[in-house]
Amino acid sequence: MPTISKHELEHLAKLARIELVPGEEEKLLKDLGNILAHFEELKRLDTADVPPMAGGTDLADVLREDSADDGGRENTNRGAGTDAFPASKNGYNKVPPVFE
Amino acid sequence: MEALHELTIKKFHEGLLAKKFSALEAMQAHFARIKAHDPAIHAYLSTAEESAARAASAVDVALAQGEDVGPLAGVPLAVKDCILIEGLPATAASRMLERYTASYDATAIAKLRDAGAVFLGKTNMDEFAMGSSTENSAFGLTRNPHDPSRVAGGSSGGSAAAVAAHFAVAALGSDTGGSIRQPAGFCGVVGFKPTYGAVSRSGLIAMASSLDQIGPFTKTVEDAAIMFKAIAGPDPLDATSAPDADYSSIDDLERSAPLDRIKKMAIGIPEEYFIEGLDPAVAEGVDRAIERLKRLGIGFKKISLPHTKYALSCYYIVMPAEVSSNLARFDGIRYARLPDLADKSGLSLGDLYKKQRGEGFGPEAKRRIILGTFVLSSGYYDAYYEKAQRTRTLIARDFREAFKTVDAILTPVTPTPAFPIGAKTNDPLAMYLEDIFTIPVNLAGLPGISIPVDGARSAAALGAGELPVNFQLIGKKWREADILGIGRYYEKLNG
Repeated sequence: MPTISKHELEHLAKLARIELVPGEEEKLLKDLGNILAHFEELKRLDTADVPPMAGGTDLADVLREDSADDGGRENTNRGAGTDAFPASKNGYNKVPPVFE
Repeated sequence: MEALHELTIKKFHEGLLAKKFSALEAMQAHFARIKAHDPAIHAYLSTAEESAARAASAVDVALAQGEDVGPLAGVPLAVKDCILIEGLPATAASRMLERYTASYDATAIAKLRDAGAVFLGKTNMDEFAMGSSTENSAFGLTRNPHDPSRVAGGSSGGSAAAVAAHFAVAALGSDTGGSIRQPAGFCGVVGFKPTYGAVSRSGLIAMASSLDQIGPFTKTVEDAAIMFKAIAGPDPLDATSAPDADYSSIDDLERSAPLDRIKKMAIGIPEEYFIEGLDPAVAEGVDRAIERLKRLGIGFKKISLPHTKYALSCYYIVMPAEVSSNLARFDGIRYARLPDLADKSGLSLGDLYKKQRGEGFGPEAKRRIILGTFVLSSGYYDAYYEKAQRTRTLIARDFREAFKTVDAILTPVTPTPAFPIGAKTNDPLAMYLEDIFTIPVNLAGLPGISIPVDGARSAAALGAGELPVNFQLIGKKWREADILGIGRYYEKLNG
C-alpha cells in the first residue's frame, strides 16, 4: 500500500512553496493515504499498449506570428497586470530580496 | 412586470420588446429580491448595481431609439467568481485573490456584453472551483434555495442557486469535473457543459486546463441554447479553442421542427452508471425521464462504458497535476497582496511565498496542490500521472465506441440529491465520489447537459423543501445540437 511519509510530505510542501502547520500535516497525511489507496485500482488496468491522452483536444497546434503589434485584444491590456502589483519603485515592481 | 420566477431569457426578451417592463426595471427588481433573500442563501460574493444599471439603461436607450436588440439584451445575469469581468472583483472564493480586481473581460463576458447582457454580480463557488458543495469557499457556503439545510452543490453552487432562487435570469459557471451539471442538479435548473474547446477559456481562472469549460445555467434548455450560441466560437486568446464549428442546427431547434430527426435518434443507457447506492429518488427520477422520452418515440439501447469505474482515479490524478501547475502563479504578490495575516517583514522572497501560499490557500486547494506535486514528481510520474493519461485514452475510447451505435447517452447526474451541509466535509474521498457520473464527460472532452426531470423547479418560495432531481444527456463532440434538441423536446413534452 503506497503511503506518503511525513518526511516526503515536507519535501512536497517545500517544492510546492506551501508552509504547513503541524495539525494540517497529520490531516493531509491521512487524506492523501486514503486517496492513494483508491488509486491502487488503476494497477489492475493493462495500459501497456495505450497511448497517453495529453490534453482535452485532438486539435493540432496552430501557430501565429510572435508579434506584439497585430492589433488584437492581447494588446489592449498592457500594464493592467502590474497595476495590481502591491509595491513598485522607479517603475519596477518591488519584492523582498531573493538573496540576503 | 411579470413575477421574476416566470422570467426565462425567452420571456424576458418578449416582455422587453412588448414594453411590459424596461431593462432597468427588471434589473432593479432582481436587486430588490437579492437584497431581501440572498443573505439567507449567499449565492453572490459581490454585486455590481451601478455598472448593471448603466448596462440596463444603455439597452433601454437603444430600444427607445428603435434599434434592434438581440435575445440577451438587458438580461440580468450572474457570473461565477472565477470568470473575469473588467473592473469587478474576481476572488475565485479564495483569500489569495481577496483584493484582486479583474483588469480585462473574459472572452465569454465580452461576447455577452456585446449582446447587451447585464451582469448583476459575481457568485460564490468552491475555492478555485475545487469542490462539489461550495463549502470550500473562503467566504462562507451557499445554501440550497429548496432546502437551506442542504448544499447547493459545487463548484458553481452560487450560480446554480442564483438562477434557482431567481436572483438572476441565467448565469455562467465553469465545469471541470461536473461543476456546472452537479449544482444544476442539486438546485433543479438546467446546466450545460459544452464540448472542450467550444467556449474560450480566456479570462477563466484556470483550474485544470485540459478539462475546464465555461457554460450556462438557465431555467430552460431553450435558454441554454441561446446562451451557448452567444459565448461559443474560436478565440485567438485561447490556444485550445476550436476553429469555427457549425452550430446552425441549434437555430433550427426553434425555427423549424426537427422533431422527426430527433425521433430517429437512439439514446444509450450505460449499465455502469446505474450502480448500487444510487438513491431511489434519483433512480426513480431518471426512469421517469426515460419513460417520457420513449413516449416521444426515441429509441433506447443498453450500452457499456467499461472503463467508467476508473474515471474517478484518473481524474483525481490528472486534475491535481494541472492544479499544481496552474496555481503556482499565486504567490500573494502578483494579483494584489494578501491581506496581512501575519508579520511578514524581514522574510526572504522564498519564505514569503511559502507563508503567503500557506495562509492564502484553503485546505482543499492545498490538498490538491500537494497531491499534484506528488503525482508529477520524479519516481512517481510513470506510476500515477502517465498511467492516468493512458487510462484517460481508454475512457475517451469507450465513448467513441458507444457513439458508433447511439446519438446520445442518458445517465443520472449524481448518485444522490442535494446532501446536508457538513455531511462530507471531513472526508475528501466521499466528496470526490459525488462527481462519478460527470467526470468521464470532461475526461473525454464531450458536451453534457443536466436537465430537471420535472422542469425547472420554481424556488419562488424559498426553502419549500422538496429536492429536485436532474438527468444528464451526453453528446458527441461538437454535436451540442443533439442533446439540446432532445432536451428541448423533453421540455416541451412536460409543458
